[in-house]
Amino acid sequence: MFSYFEDLDRTLAAMNHLRRRVDRRLDDLEPAPSRSPGVERMWSGRFPSLSCADTGASLVFEADLPGLDEKDVQLEVHQDVLTLRGERRQDAPQGWLVHRQERAPVKFSRSFTLPCKVDLEKSTARLKDGVLTLTLVKATEARPRQIAVNAH
Amino acid sequence: MNEASMNKREPERMAERATYAPPVDIFENKEEILILADVPGVVLEGLTVNLDGDHLTLEGHRRSRASGGDEAVDYRRTFVVPRGIDSDKIAATIHNGVLRLVLPKPVALKPRQIEVKAG
Repeated sequence: MFSYFEDLDRTLAAMNHLRRRVDRRLDDLEPAPSRSPGVERMWSGRFPSLSCADTGASLVFEADLPGLDEKDVQLEVHQDVLTLRGERRQDAPQGWLVHRQERAPVKFSRSFTLPCKVDLEKSTARLKDGVLTLTLVKATEARPRQIAVNAH
Repeated sequence: MNEASMNKREPERMAERATYAPPVDIFENKEEILILADVPGVVLEGLTVNLDGDHLTLEGHRRSRASGGDEAVDYRRTFVVPRGIDSDKIAATIHNGVLRLVLPKPVALKPRQIEVKAG
């Protein structure tokens, strides 16, 4: 019995080791940082980069979607899960010599669990200058309420 | 900024804002060089393109997000381009957060046909 667990331990350790090695290899494939003066970093995270905020009355999502039209983006709320889906197509011109290509075509899907009920009728989504702003208005019962403090 | 950049003696920015290198595509044909850059949230008014000798710098300033989740950021990148490009002829447009820069090549760089005559 004891040796059985030891074997399992060893197998798991070997798997862990392999995973670390694969991770390191994948790190090597990351694009090299740019050397332009003053530039701190290159965006190498997930696409699209986005932020979400709770403003009290609503949840605001802002996603960077450069090069996408409104028809390239799908937003869906199913139960309490918001899914942002889309595709950025290749926009390279034909017949040109390619020197550099960092803006890869991409298909993406990101899902978020919403922390409260939202009113979809009042919610809005706007795509402007390559930035999608989604405002999900909270259901009335989910909004914060002030409780008056009375002196007696 | 950090120690590493001090050591490299790079010029420092006045404002302490995050600066990102936007991903770019660069193409060339006989007449022009075309640069496409992802600069979401930047409008033409917030964009500067500067050609200094053979250094082309594109800089875009982006307002902070409405949700206040992020501070304002800058996009900035510098490329070495062929000498002799006329800065007045550089055309810049932004559509859906993608910057499109067209640089007409100087005459000296355009391919020329040399006629071959039979002797």
